Amino acid sequence: MMRALIVDDEMHAREELGSLLRQTGAFTLLGTCADAVSALQAIRAERPDVLFLDIQMPAISGFELLSMIDDAEMPRVVFVTAHDEHALRAFEENAVDYLLKPVSLERLVRTVERLRLAPADPGVAAQMRTAIHRIPCQAGRAIKLVDAAEIEFARSSEAGVYVVCPRGEFFTELTLRVLEERAGLVRCHKQYLVRLDRVEEVRLDEGTAMLRTRSGKDVPVSRRLLPEIRERLGIS
Amino acid sequence: MKIAIQLVEVLAVFVVIFYLYCRSPAFRPLMPDWPRPRGKVRLYLVFSGIAILGNYLGVPVVEGQAIVNARAVGAVLAGLLGGPVLGLLVGATAGVHRVTALGGAAALAGAVATTLEGGLGGLVHLALKRKPELLMTPKVAFMTTFVGEVIHMGIVLLLTHPFSRAVAVVEAIGPAMILMNPIGSTLFMMVLLERQREEDRVAAASSERALKVAERSLELMARGFRPAVATDLATIVKEETGVGAVGVTDTERILGWAGLGGDHHRPGRPIASPYTKQAIATNTVVFADGIRQAYDCTVSPSCPLSSVLITPLQVDGTVVGTVQLFEPRGRRFLNMNRSLGEGLGALLSSQLLISRYQEQKSLLVLSELKLARAQVNPHFLFNALNTIIAILRRDADRSRELLIHLSNFFRKNLKRSSDVSTLAEELEHVGAYLEIEKARFEGRIVVETDVDPSLVRLTLPAFTLQPLVENAFKHGLSGMLAEGRVSIRARRLDGAVVVEVEDNAGSWTGPTDGSGLGMQIVDKRVKNLHGKDFGLSVECTPHEFTRVTLRLPAEETPPA
Repeated sequence: MMRALIVDDEMHAREELGSLLRQTGAFTLLGTCADAVSALQAIRAERPDVLFLDIQMPAISGFELLSMIDDAEMPRVVFVTAHDEHALRAFEENAVDYLLKPVSLERLVRTVERLRLAPADPGVAAQMRTAIHRIPCQAGRAIKLVDAAEIEFARSSEAGVYVVCPRGEFFTELTLRVLEERAGLVRCHKQYLVRLDRVEEVRLDEGTAMLRTRSGKDVPVSRRLLPEIRERLGIS
Repeated sequence: MKIAIQLVEVLAVFVVIFYLYCRSPAFRPLMPDWPRPRGKVRLYLVFSGIAILGNYLGVPVVEGQAIVNARAVGAVLAGLLGGPVLGLLVGATAGVHRVTALGGAAALAGAVATTLEGGLGGLVHLALKRKPELLMTPKVAFMTTFVGEVIHMGIVLLLTHPFSRAVAVVEAIGPAMILMNPIGSTLFMMVLLERQREEDRVAAASSERALKVAERSLELMARGFRPAVATDLATIVKEETGVGAVGVTDTERILGWAGLGGDHHRPGRPIASPYTKQAIATNTVVFADGIRQAYDCTVSPSCPLSSVLITPLQVDGTVVGTVQLFEPRGRRFLNMNRSLGEGLGALLSSQLLISRYQEQKSLLVLSELKLARAQVNPHFLFNALNTIIAILRRDADRSRELLIHLSNFFRKNLKRSSDVSTLAEELEHVGAYLEIEKARFEGRIVVETDVDPSLVRLTLPAFTLQPLVENAFKHGLSGMLAEGRVSIRARRLDGAVVVEVEDNAGSWTGPTDGSGLGMQIVDKRVKNLHGKDFGLSVECTPHEFTRVTLRLPAEETPPA
């Protein structure tokens, strides 16, 4: 049984695909998600084998969502969309399959076969280095899209990953690795990323350092990463 | 005195010859030709001829040693009209002729004098060149010739030997020539001017006719080149030119006819005349004058028509038909009508081009419209079907309702052949669309409608409202995570009707984001119909609302 997750903003579409997946008898349905943030959460928590992903969704498209998933957590992807204008792009994203709505059971059975033939390791996502410009963050019950250029630094804690902007900090489902690779932030500490052009002050201290951002917040630099940070900041 | 009378006779003959020349086809209006070398050559030949004629028509006096002559007239006029070079050349030519062909004691003096008189005319020409209305006057001709003849006499006195003979010659020819030649020049100038004016009158009359035809045919041709307008066109051309008959053809058959021979040159008949075929095949004007080449009617032996001018009509270099002007036997085909006919071909062709262009422009709008209708967003269709299939699992009745809405929506999309619909019909169309979208975005969409009930019968271009609502979804509501709200309002405002479609997404980014076509067409159609005070405008406050406002003229609601 493959563990599947459905991501689609339309309720009826989620229900319909869920029914079809059950009918094939090949899937355990882990859940359905209506937006990107809950999808990232579910992927983190459930580690699905297969993601059935709608492309046209509000705020964050299916493609954008893919770029926000950590390589280590990347499931195999089947796109489900109403129109085939994205077929080429989907192919480039190494999707296992591309389904057109409305989906027939016969067609879905072929998808099952493909999934069985395809290597278990997605391996796919490794090349998805699309830059992320908007970081979906949780703000109460709503989703806040934080402009990546606004972020001064990011930190991870027990509770999760936070991005910090002059106007506050926001919880995000994205991992530090994804932010480092795709959002233009630089690793300066095991638990910190920093946007170098927002650094205003560097205080060196016996092999480590503390960076101060423009809005006056401190970001630690680890001993191991200091030489690289110094070089990138142009301080010899 | 006798000599003077003889000289008057000479001048009379002269003027008659000149007058005849002016009436002959060889005469061309002088003015436009002046600057060109060919025109000067012609002037030289004509005036040298006149001057030499002056030698021959002269009256010999003083035992043949001198001639009372009108040679000076030719030289002076040549100088006045063509400048110093021409004046000198004509004077010299006539002078040489005087010396070589006729001889006599005063010959040399006469030759030199005539050359100088030509030059004098030329100097006057130079002096008054910038004011042709002063140059071409009988007064200037008189004065120049008068001065010229006085100088002429002086030169005779200087160059003729012995002096006593010179005096005798001047006594014999002087008074007559000094008096009469200026009068001659004056007469010449008057004939010339008269001829010129007449030419202008003909040209003016001809342009006036051409303009009249243009004015009357413009509206006609705007409807395109088709049989329905051909007879009207033929009638207009016949009325304005006064020819015996006018035919209009396409490349295969007669489309319209007016005038003589209408009994057998009936619209719809295939083209039989070889002249017409030739004009169409070669895209050139064909003229049969009725004398050397006659129009032989191939249809009826009793056809009265004998001369014809056939002008091709063309669009983009392709012949699409002809206009034919006919005159019956016994009536000359006027030159004026000939040039008018040729001009008409060009005129009507350009009118055709305009109408073709306008036709294509409206076709373009129409095809854009068709395209926009056919271009129902595929996402909409397939997502709608997907939604209905999903609902079918749980609620067959609801899915049936949705299918009926979907059918209604597409039926309205396809069926609108009439270009006008009522606000009620438009709202119905939009309503079907909204029902589907509401089902798709279950619970996420709220629709508000607020329409002044007195407006439901308002007519507006079909397919006007739907693109606005669709746009609100495509580029606004479908991208919202929170609840989407769309309001459709129609009310009267400042004597106009305002229809608004507002969403609470506020994500309008201007007409460049691809939302364009449908809305642009709506705007274009409304502006075409009602003028630029009406049409679409868009207001947007990001993240708050996008409001598309359609302004329409408030028309009186027709009684029920």
